[in-house]
Amino acid sequence: MTPLIGDLFYESWYLGLRTLRRFYRVPANWIGIILFPLIQLFVFSQLFKDIIQLPGFRASGSGSYLAYLAPGQIAFTAFFAVAWSGSAILVEYRNGYMDKLRATPIRRVSILFGELVPLFFESAIMAGGILVLSIVLGATIKTGLFGAVLILVLSGLFGMAWAGTSFIPAFLTKSEQATGTLSLLFFPIAFMSTAFVPPALMPGWLQTVNDWNPITFLIEAIRPLMVSGYDWGAIGKALVAIAVLGAVLQSATLWAFRRLTA
Amino acid sequence: MSARGPNSTMTRPVIEVEDLVKVYAGGARAVDGITFAIQPGELFGFLGPNGAGKTTTIRILATLLRATSGVARVAGFDVATQAAEVRRRLGLAMQTPTLDTFSTGRENIELIGRMHRVPAAELKRRTDELLELMGLTAVSRKLAGTYSGGMRRRLDLACALVHRPEMLILDEPTEGLDPQSRNALWGELERISREGTSMLLTTHYMEEADRLCNRVAIIDNGRIVVEGSPEHLKAAIGADTVTLRLEAHGPEDLARQQAGVRDLLDGFDSLEAVTPETFGVSLSIRNAGRALPQLMRSLDQNGNGVRLVGLSVAQPSLDDVFLKYTGRRIRTEAADQPIILGW
Repeated sequence: MTPLIGDLFYESWYLGLRTLRRFYRVPANWIGIILFPLIQLFVFSQLFKDIIQLPGFRASGSGSYLAYLAPGQIAFTAFFAVAWSGSAILVEYRNGYMDKLRATPIRRVSILFGELVPLFFESAIMAGGILVLSIVLGATIKTGLFGAVLILVLSGLFGMAWAGTSFIPAFLTKSEQATGTLSLLFFPIAFMSTAFVPPALMPGWLQTVNDWNPITFLIEAIRPLMVSGYDWGAIGKALVAIAVLGAVLQSATLWAFRRLTA
Repeated sequence: MSARGPNSTMTRPVIEVEDLVKVYAGGARAVDGITFAIQPGELFGFLGPNGAGKTTTIRILATLLRATSGVARVAGFDVATQAAEVRRRLGLAMQTPTLDTFSTGRENIELIGRMHRVPAAELKRRTDELLELMGLTAVSRKLAGTYSGGMRRRLDLACALVHRPEMLILDEPTEGLDPQSRNALWGELERISREGTSMLLTTHYMEEADRLCNRVAIIDNGRIVVEGSPEHLKAAIGADTVTLRLEAHGPEDLARQQAGVRDLLDGFDSLEAVTPETFGVSLSIRNAGRALPQLMRSLDQNGNGVRLVGLSVAQPSLDDVFLKYTGRRIRTEAADQPIILGW
């Protein structure tokens, strides 16, 4: 390991542990993340119970509308875990804690990594929570424990990538209010995705949109893991989609972070 | 790993600043050509009102801000080009304690120690020691967010000391503390100083500069107006102040009595000035303590209708020094915190 990689790993590790402590020591964090997806899962699965009988749903393999909804709600949870992720770093930028860290002999970017990397675990663990709850409510996990771990990894990676949408406006505007502006684009993109309705039931233009929708790729990789079996093609596509999304958003985040701390 | 830096000579200053200037983007000259040096083991104070440029200078020394021009070196390393070397040797505590409120006291110290690469076993030992020293052992497992103001200060100080810095920089270390906590913290700082750590602190409390510092630089409008030991600076003021409180019936009576005092003390040795005040008279007298019996005898002529009801003697304070060099008194209100506004 070159010194740079070693430094980044060491510093991000301890700064990351601190970020995780801040997360798990405030129960409001995880309740806030899981509540909305849980309500959607519970209410929509009752409200649109019979929608599953429409022919377009059969191809998905889901036995009930709740089972159909669950993968999308896992994606929602991963999103909620990172929706306002830029605010913690802004608070410390303002109260001087970031200066305290910058006055120590560490790589500056470790401060960013120490916030970003734990989001993988926060998203994954929260997604795990909603996965368990949906199984309790009647969804299935056909691929068992290993499939469940794959779902959490995909959710964690997606959360980390999407976190850029909170970091970028936060760093550029230095305003906590801005941390939830760009990230909330998740909603329209998720509502257009296959979270609620299969593509066969969508108008043509929406089907085209979903050929490029990263949230659709994520959901369509999770769905088979829950209802049928491993679809490595779908998982591969999801990983590529997340990688592209992450590369774009996180390079912009890195640029904005350097600008903030210049 | 030896970085370039003249570490050999023992007498090399820990901090050298030459003609430092900082002009902010808006055009404000926060620091306007400051030059000073701090020798190893010194406890050096920046005394000045809020907005004098103290914090800006400190932020430059701590590698958090780039100077517009001039040179600043810590332990021989340039703050602009050898920041990493400077950071290894510097302990920093800013104006408001900066702590991770969701971490415990122990976790706060350990994190900063780890960032400084203090080896694990050594870190455990030092953390225990610092917690004990700062009187925080009993609360070391409580979240820092639950600490009182004095405890936060002490924890912040412990964080600044965990890597055994050569140089400790403290910005307004007792700002916002009650007198009791302030006294306790002064004791801590004196002890740290005795153990050999060089220190630079800023303050706008003259008692603080007077009690703690070997040397003080009085700073105003981004410039050092005068520098020296508190004793030296005060001695340069010369006279002590003797305040005479007079019992008067109306302004005319007061004026008559003030003239009376002037008459009685005409030709009094070591008297430098007589200043009329609303409560009576204040006198500038060299070595007032020694002159007091003579003064009392002169005033006890029972003539001129002088009705003396009170007398007090004050030695010159650093506030008088500040007044002499800047024509103003140091404001003692709480510091105005800059509000950083985003969009």
